[in-house]
Amino acid sequence: MSLKSKKEPQPQPQRRVFKVIVIGDSDVGKTCLTYRFCSGQFQDKTEATIGVDFRERMVDVDGELIKLQLWDTAGQERFRKSMVPHYYRNYSSFQNLPAWIEECNKYCSSSGGIPRILVGNKSDLKEKSEVDTNTAQRYADSHCMPLFEASAKEDKDFANIEAIFLTLAHKLKCHKPMMSGDYPSMKRATVLSIDKELVRKNSDSYCANC
Amino acid sequence: MAGINLSDRKETLFLEALGSPVIDMNNLRKLCSTGIVETCGIRTICWRLLLNCLPKQRTKWPEALEKQRCEYQQFLNEMIIEPGLKRCNAAPGLDDHPLNPNPTSEWNSYFKDNDILLQIDKDVRRLCPDIAFFQNATAYPCEPLVSPTSRLENLRKRVERSVLSSQNLTRKRLGISNLISSRKQASREYDTLEEGQEAHWEVVERILFIYAKLNPGTAYVQGMNEIIGPLYYTLASDPNLEWKEHAEADTFFCFTNLMGEIRDNFIKSLDKSGSGIEASMNRVLCLLRQVDPEVWLRLDSLAIKPQFYLFRWITLLLSQEFSLPDVIHIWDILFSDSRRFDFLIAVCSAMIILLRDEILTRDFSHNMKLLQNYPLRIDVNTIISKAKEIYHNLRN
Repeated sequence: MSLKSKKEPQPQPQRRVFKVIVIGDSDVGKTCLTYRFCSGQFQDKTEATIGVDFRERMVDVDGELIKLQLWDTAGQERFRKSMVPHYYRNYSSFQNLPAWIEECNKYCSSSGGIPRILVGNKSDLKEKSEVDTNTAQRYADSHCMPLFEASAKEDKDFANIEAIFLTLAHKLKCHKPMMSGDYPSMKRATVLSIDKELVRKNSDSYCANC
Repeated sequence: MAGINLSDRKETLFLEALGSPVIDMNNLRKLCSTGIVETCGIRTICWRLLLNCLPKQRTKWPEALEKQRCEYQQFLNEMIIEPGLKRCNAAPGLDDHPLNPNPTSEWNSYFKDNDILLQIDKDVRRLCPDIAFFQNATAYPCEPLVSPTSRLENLRKRVERSVLSSQNLTRKRLGISNLISSRKQASREYDTLEEGQEAHWEVVERILFIYAKLNPGTAYVQGMNEIIGPLYYTLASDPNLEWKEHAEADTFFCFTNLMGEIRDNFIKSLDKSGSGIEASMNRVLCLLRQVDPEVWLRLDSLAIKPQFYLFRWITLLLSQEFSLPDVIHIWDILFSDSRRFDFLIAVCSAMIILLRDEILTRDFSHNMKLLQNYPLRIDVNTIISKAKEIYHNLRN
């Protein structure tokens, strides 16, 4: 719901705002991941997100202070297009990825040039399984997205979570605004989420579009 | 002391109102509109009356309750117990099988129901995470479903099996030949209780599943869990033990009646209709524009869209904005509105107006966070008073 929204011009004209949208199936950990990045804390239990939650954090990208705005969205279809029911698809957010990417493309007409990141969250729960990382990697590669695996829960994994969003910020910084209507100070990003739970590991995916 | 006397007096007024052979609903609404007293299980009676789950004539209460509870028991048998028994006794069917493409196949609807059940399951497990209540065991579990000797497939087993079977299937589809023994993940973060016990969230799950089966048009939409949560919590905490025992059945009817009034907010295809969420959000903004045009203009110029905060406020009847006791207090007043849910529109406007100083001076980011995390320092009674002021000015 927030994909097309415009942001206000910032009072400090020199400070740029990058907008990141996190999408994906419900209960894959979108809220925990964004909360961890913005507050440094792990929220043990979070309610289902209804609508969209807004979070932000300042980051330093090559010496420039940039405000990263994270839009944490709700996972259920109520908030997106209705999908053809598929018996076996329900619990596998990994298999739902094409639908999320399609949705992303639908709202971002020029998404071909929009950077995306795929994140496998809840990696603290994973059982070692290279096959699945490979599968996720192949998928990410085929859609030109870097793959990150991370755990919003593990303190020691915080650097990894930072890396996700900083990578995103770098990509956005190098990216030219796609839409002429955008404020020059504003860049956009979208994040796609998947739950790799079924595929051995839990994962969120992020797609950044700017 | 004066405060105590006042609440005693209020309790007496409630007891009088509820004690009359035919309840004067206008009088009761008026009483409830200042909040319902916490004592004697008065709230659960009032909520049932306000939500049309009890008739006005007191003498008809036992009969009405009995009828509803029997009806719920039938739903339970038909939709959970019998299918569960069938599934554990099922001989390999000749006519029907999991891959039967026939739309009337029982397996077909079984899988469809599983989609809904798994979504409900994800949400009820994380219902009201700030309090322990929903993770605790209920004193009134559904015996046939939790008995350790029962092989019946209850919802708990069904969720586990669905997760497992789709795990196996996923791996096959990916062409992985060695199936590693599956590890149960469904209850990884929240333990289900021992056999024979049931957590309150499991009871809520069952009610939502039955509601979804009976209302295939809406089925289950995220957020319904937040509507049923405070209802069930209130009914399942009833000091009247006889009624407390039937909290599950009674919550089902309260929830069904309440959903009858707010269901359109949950239906995407009705978003743009007169009864849909967009119309409700616009009503708040229109009221705001009328009462405090400056704040309205400010939000508009910052491009803080109603979808970013009002969507949740209205859809959930504010249940995610405040602590549970405050939500319950607000619901007393919302339910007492004879033009339900007009007063909610005024409450939402009041909530915005009470933040006017910040909204007018701070930027987009600050105001977004403010509206999405309503500040604790503003007391709910302040909000209610402000809303009443707006509401009454409007109608005069």
